[in-house]
Amino acid sequence: MGREAILISIRENKPTLLPLPDIDLNAFSEETNLAERFKDNVKLVGGRIKEIALADLDREIKEMFPNAKQIVCELENSSLGNISIFENTDPHDLALIDLAIIKGDLGVAENGSIWISENQFTLRALPFITNDLAIVLSKEAICLHMLNAYELIAQRERNFGLFISGPSKTADIEQCLVIGAQGAMSLTVYVV
Amino acid sequence: MSHSKKAEIFNKNEAKVNWHDKALWYVREKRDLSAHKVQGWEYLRELASGIKANVLSNLDEYLIQFEKNAQKNGIKVHWASNAEEHNIIVNNILAEHNAKKVVKSKSMLTEECHLNPYLESKGIEVIDTDLGERIVQLAKESPSHIVLPAIHKTKEEVDILFQEYLGTKPNFGNPEYLTHEARKHLRDKFLKADAAITGVNFAIADTGGFVVCTNEGNADMGAHLAKVHIACMGIEKIIPKEKHLGIFLRLLARSATGQPITTYSSHFNKPATGKEMHIVIVDNGRTEQLSREDFRASLHCIRCGACMNTCPIYRRSGGHSYDATIPGPIGSILSPGMDMKKHSSLPFASTLCGSCSNVCPVKINIHKQLYKWRQVIVKQQKQPLLKNSILKIAGVVLSKPRLYSLSGKSARFILKKAPKFMIYNRLNTWGKARDLPEVKNEIFDEWYKKRTKNG
Repeated sequence: MGREAILISIRENKPTLLPLPDIDLNAFSEETNLAERFKDNVKLVGGRIKEIALADLDREIKEMFPNAKQIVCELENSSLGNISIFENTDPHDLALIDLAIIKGDLGVAENGSIWISENQFTLRALPFITNDLAIVLSKEAICLHMLNAYELIAQRERNFGLFISGPSKTADIEQCLVIGAQGAMSLTVYVV
Repeated sequence: MSHSKKAEIFNKNEAKVNWHDKALWYVREKRDLSAHKVQGWEYLRELASGIKANVLSNLDEYLIQFEKNAQKNGIKVHWASNAEEHNIIVNNILAEHNAKKVVKSKSMLTEECHLNPYLESKGIEVIDTDLGERIVQLAKESPSHIVLPAIHKTKEEVDILFQEYLGTKPNFGNPEYLTHEARKHLRDKFLKADAAITGVNFAIADTGGFVVCTNEGNADMGAHLAKVHIACMGIEKIIPKEKHLGIFLRLLARSATGQPITTYSSHFNKPATGKEMHIVIVDNGRTEQLSREDFRASLHCIRCGACMNTCPIYRRSGGHSYDATIPGPIGSILSPGMDMKKHSSLPFASTLCGSCSNVCPVKINIHKQLYKWRQVIVKQQKQPLLKNSILKIAGVVLSKPRLYSLSGKSARFILKKAPKFMIYNRLNTWGKARDLPEVKNEIFDEWYKKRTKNG
């Protein structure tokens, strides 16, 4: 149907080839404390952040989420999970999950976002459908800005992944910010 | 109805106009604060503009590359020349899966193609899942802003709407209560949906993947629960390489709402096991816009809405006055290309102050294009008699110095001495909402001559 027509029309109407600009990364370099900047921005986007020792992780999470009953944990070094999920689990079954705990791959200081990928959670729906989300991130894995981030994730297996920045939110009613729209109601980042 | 006529209606509720104006200006201020924190912001805009210009000059190759890579990853790619083809393709995919319940996240393209009424006519339920879009859908309206679809609605209006459709309790327009009730309502829709439709913010030629940005998480809730995901994109959404997202994602949310990045920037590369992922690539007038040298840069647009938030006309006339899928300054240069007759008043809905061009993250020369559309439209379309004759008279007067001086003198005399009804009548459109300036006794020309004589 439209394919050939569209391509022909583009060829007839496009301007002469313009070069793709080179990117000078030096223009974006800054002397800054990455960990501090990341922390400030996680809070700015409505998240909670705590720097802890890995050994204290379970205790910290229990303290933060005392009422969480159905927990999916995708970490090896935590024993909090009580619901097991598999690749063939129906994602609709996750509707009542109180808390999901997953590993983050990379933090971005400039905007407080964290790259998480399908390799860290069995089902794509998990980080969105869970009521609360906790992400555990190594303090070594924080970069300055998005251009750095894309260099660092360039070699990944490309299936599904995302930059997540704080809990789901909306300001669609009279510009009043409300946390907890269609995705997770809260995001807590544990930096270890 | 022209933009100015519709704006007049919007302006009848002064309190609401004032609120609208301030609310959007506040978003513009947040954009400034956020942009100023970024080292190299102007360079980012330049790069983004340069990349988009390259994309348009090599668009056919990038689309072919994108298609090849997407197919390699198991994504099914479809092409649609126009809105009708787009709607048929989407309907066919849904029919194949016997999908009767569809959840949709924000996509201006599907608005442009009027997909919802089309699918509804085929007996399919389509639920818009972005809160603002759900609000306007329940109100049977269209979005009045591309990022803030329900910005024209007060919280009290949403309260009444939700009481009627979602069975909420009267709550004096409590945004938190209303948002959380909508969350419950939409959860139910997500869990029951057979298919999900999303837009596309960026499609990457060299990986065949695409990125969808939301704050609410609605695109992901839909796409990961339903068995079929259909993503609809205009041909201009292509970017060459994944690393270029590092530029566009830094610009998009900061320009849109002042956030450093949207809550979710989801990268779809492959369908999940046992699921289907489709992409519909749509032209619908875009290649025609590409042919117009003066206007092709309008295809750089990444739909952030910054030009709307900053525009003094948009803020005081509201999105619905534009009567177009994309309102505001960018819409006023896109819409005449789609239907010049219908949208001929839009390029005149501007002060040409240039604020839109100054905030545009991809540096579209919006106000210059508005000016150029005016020239095209005046040549091709009959102008009101009054405007035509006044401009002709002005042309004669301005070309003859003595006549100019005489008419200046008589105008000043009339403004001073004539009764009000003679000055403020239907022929003087300028005087409709304004007082004409107070007349001074001496004019510059006389003052200058006197000054030279006195040496």
